[in-house]
Amino acid sequence: MSESAVPFVASTLAVPPPSSGIGWLDEARRENLAAFGEAGLPDTRVEAWKYTALRALSQRSFIHGDAQAATRDIDPEAFALPGLDGPRLVFVNGVFRGDLSDLSALPAGLALRPLSQALAQDAEPLRFALARRYKERGDAFAQLNAAQAVDGVVLRVAADAKIDVPVRLVFVGVAADAELAWHLRNVIELGEGAELTLVEQHVGSGNARQLGTLVADVVLRDGARLQHIVAQDASADATLVHRHALQLGARAQALLHVLELGGALVRHDLQADLVGNGARLDTRGVFVPRGRQHIDTQLAIRHQALNTTSDSTWRGVADGRARGVFRGAILVAPGADGSDARLNNKNLLLSGSAEIDTKPELEIYADEVQAAHGATVGQLDERALFYLRSRGIPLAEARTLLTAAFCRAVLDDLPNATLREHLASLLAIRLPV
Amino acid sequence: MTSERSDHMLGDTGATVLRDNAEVAEALGRSYSAGFVTEIESTGLPPGLSEETVRQISAIKREPEWMTEWRLKAFRHWLTMPQPDWAKLKMAPQDYQAISYYSAPKVAPKSLDEVDPALLETYEKLGVPLHERAALAGVAVDAVFDSVSVGTTFRKQLADAGVLFCSMSEAIREYPELVQKYLGSVVPPGDNFFAALNSAVFSDGSFVFIPKGVRCPMELSTYFRINAQNTGQFERTLIVAEEGAHVSYLEGCTAPRRDENQLHAAVVELVALEKAQIKYSTVQNWYPGDENGVGGVYNLVTKRGDCRGADSKISWTQVETGSAITWKYPSVILRGDRSVGEFHSVALTHHFQQADTGTKMIHIGRDTKSKIVSKGISAGRSNNSYRGLVKVEKGAEGARNYTQCDSLLIGKRCGAHTFPYMEVKNPSAIVEHEATTSKISDDQLFYCRSRGIGEEDAVSMIVDGFCKQVFRELPMEFAVEAKKLLEVSLEGAVG
Repeated sequence: MSESAVPFVASTLAVPPPSSGIGWLDEARRENLAAFGEAGLPDTRVEAWKYTALRALSQRSFIHGDAQAATRDIDPEAFALPGLDGPRLVFVNGVFRGDLSDLSALPAGLALRPLSQALAQDAEPLRFALARRYKERGDAFAQLNAAQAVDGVVLRVAADAKIDVPVRLVFVGVAADAELAWHLRNVIELGEGAELTLVEQHVGSGNARQLGTLVADVVLRDGARLQHIVAQDASADATLVHRHALQLGARAQALLHVLELGGALVRHDLQADLVGNGARLDTRGVFVPRGRQHIDTQLAIRHQALNTTSDSTWRGVADGRARGVFRGAILVAPGADGSDARLNNKNLLLSGSAEIDTKPELEIYADEVQAAHGATVGQLDERALFYLRSRGIPLAEARTLLTAAFCRAVLDDLPNATLREHLASLLAIRLPV
Repeated sequence: MTSERSDHMLGDTGATVLRDNAEVAEALGRSYSAGFVTEIESTGLPPGLSEETVRQISAIKREPEWMTEWRLKAFRHWLTMPQPDWAKLKMAPQDYQAISYYSAPKVAPKSLDEVDPALLETYEKLGVPLHERAALAGVAVDAVFDSVSVGTTFRKQLADAGVLFCSMSEAIREYPELVQKYLGSVVPPGDNFFAALNSAVFSDGSFVFIPKGVRCPMELSTYFRINAQNTGQFERTLIVAEEGAHVSYLEGCTAPRRDENQLHAAVVELVALEKAQIKYSTVQNWYPGDENGVGGVYNLVTKRGDCRGADSKISWTQVETGSAITWKYPSVILRGDRSVGEFHSVALTHHFQQADTGTKMIHIGRDTKSKIVSKGISAGRSNNSYRGLVKVEKGAEGARNYTQCDSLLIGKRCGAHTFPYMEVKNPSAIVEHEATTSKISDDQLFYCRSRGIGEEDAVSMIVDGFCKQVFRELPMEFAVEAKKLLEVSLEGAVG
């Protein structure tokens, strides 16, 4: 079957990509869409999609963009984070909602606005990020996003500015009449020595059978420090494909916490390039698919400079008929001496119909390195269960306690206590009982 | 037969190379000692591959009709398959029409006593005991020269015990019902590109059958040698251990040094029935190419064992130091309840060698266990990848796997990679994987040096320690060989 006969591809190609009136941008959109049309959706023979089949998705047709997003009724409680005040950008079905956002008191050194506004004022600084052509096999959603995204977030922190309030980016999916697809593009940059805490929330309300794609470029200049939290709790019917591409300059440090809780089919590509000497990246994540959920995390860390460090701890819990997929690839490029790379991924398989597929990878081209990874798939420790039960804790409760403790390990080093507790309770709600 | 490169012959030093450490350093001259060419008259098929070639091979070997058909079916399937490209290997495209698919010494020996002395000498040089020395070593050997088996030792003693050990061609003629029952039952002819090619054109190999309850009285061994130019070697080995049978099997390989890449695409099938145990050890030392990456054998091998019966065990041990390219994943299908699979591997690459090797453990039966220990050593400008799959199927209640993969880097221009896949569908299974990559630490080196150990010896000592876990699994004779082979292969890697 030719790609253009696949309903998903056909419905995408049926309408021309949105026009911005900016020559280079429209050209990039056209070319990315053409590339998407040519290659179509990847099948499981493409290594990056080996464990995530898109057959069902490919049979669906989507309308790109929600015309009524501006007027949809949203309850701000859905994304409230009590105790955390700060600037906030809210998108509903991929459309910026000024009424729900809070840009009133931006701290000095922080520039934050929707991509649509930034493009209208001065598109040139965004050219490098937005003119990109995605060509890798399996880049279908990035191509689609590049062709269709008309909004998103542009965030810049000036050099040496230390932003002491967390900035929140909220993405809300709500049910629409048709099957809806929305696309957002985020461009984030921390200047030299800048500091920022960024909280990214995905929430859903109603049975939003929609597709969301989000592509974010995050650049940390020399000495910048970023704490980045991604709390994904999308609607149970949603398909979400998000990608974060980080680039860390010399001595830059990023600490990422990722919670993958919601969504029917979720794919997260997390790519980091450590391009400056002494850069450090720590990632912590947990994915908790249950029911028929399918959550696929693809972590790729590339050490490309001297004395770079990465440390990753990921946990997975799969229950019901769910499937958890994890790939943790570490590359140490030639000459990246002094690299220290560590990764571990532990998984709990709680049901006979669930599946965990994990694939830690090391690709090492330098010899002055320390690299180690470990992965396990197993179940709760019988002895620990017995211990709890011998102290009068019922089996079900003991299981929940141990599962929660297993997952909470990834939140331990989150510095902001309010945030930590909030994420822990979010996790607790979603954990299988 | 050409001899233009026979000037590289190391002559009489060859046989002792693997035996005596003191002579190693001297004799080596840092090169491949098995790289000589034997001057022997041979006959063969001209290069080229077609249904006609397949029929000819089958005819030369006087095979029954069903075998010819089996080959043709495999060949037709092969024509429809693309060459796989997923491995982390840079491989020059192969011209399958430029290879000769059959080469044999002109005079076929009837017994070991009639084997051409030049041939015997070849094996003598390589340190393979075919004759009286075999008695001392206590190992039964099947020697395969290019496409044919030139002799199998200890046949009588083995026959007394009920063990069948002969060349594959002989087995097809003598024991067709056994061959028909088991050939292709573990690696089907259409399994993969190279297995299909092998199924179509395989020329010889070893056949081992250990009947019910028999413990094979000695180690069995096959020695493979590619000699002729522009030939590919496609051997096929089948080992069947019936209920309660035990066997330990060793395999060794060498080839002359030649500037063009020779193809070696073998298939090995192991079948272990209830309570049977098979231990398969390989020391692979095909010609690795020279220090500029010219020449060398392309070693593209499918090896798979099937633990068909309950409580059976299959264990693979490999030491891979040769070949320009190694593409090889000895696997175990753990079908029988409580069956056990093991994989112990040392893979060393130097200069421009590339290895993409590892294993697959497929847990199907209840309470099945597997253990994987892989040690990769990269030096020069080589690339060494571990690629492995541990799969636990839904019914594999209580399955257990432990995998350990360590890589050692020697030098700045080599690569060491690990690609483990874990697919788990049973909640009572426990699967663990650990991997590390590092170089020989300066502390370790300094410690050795401060005690008066030269740098090269110190490296060799540390590497030996790194590999100990695997060497321990090898039969003693082989362990000594493997250790020395490693020292030889690392020559010039330091400094």
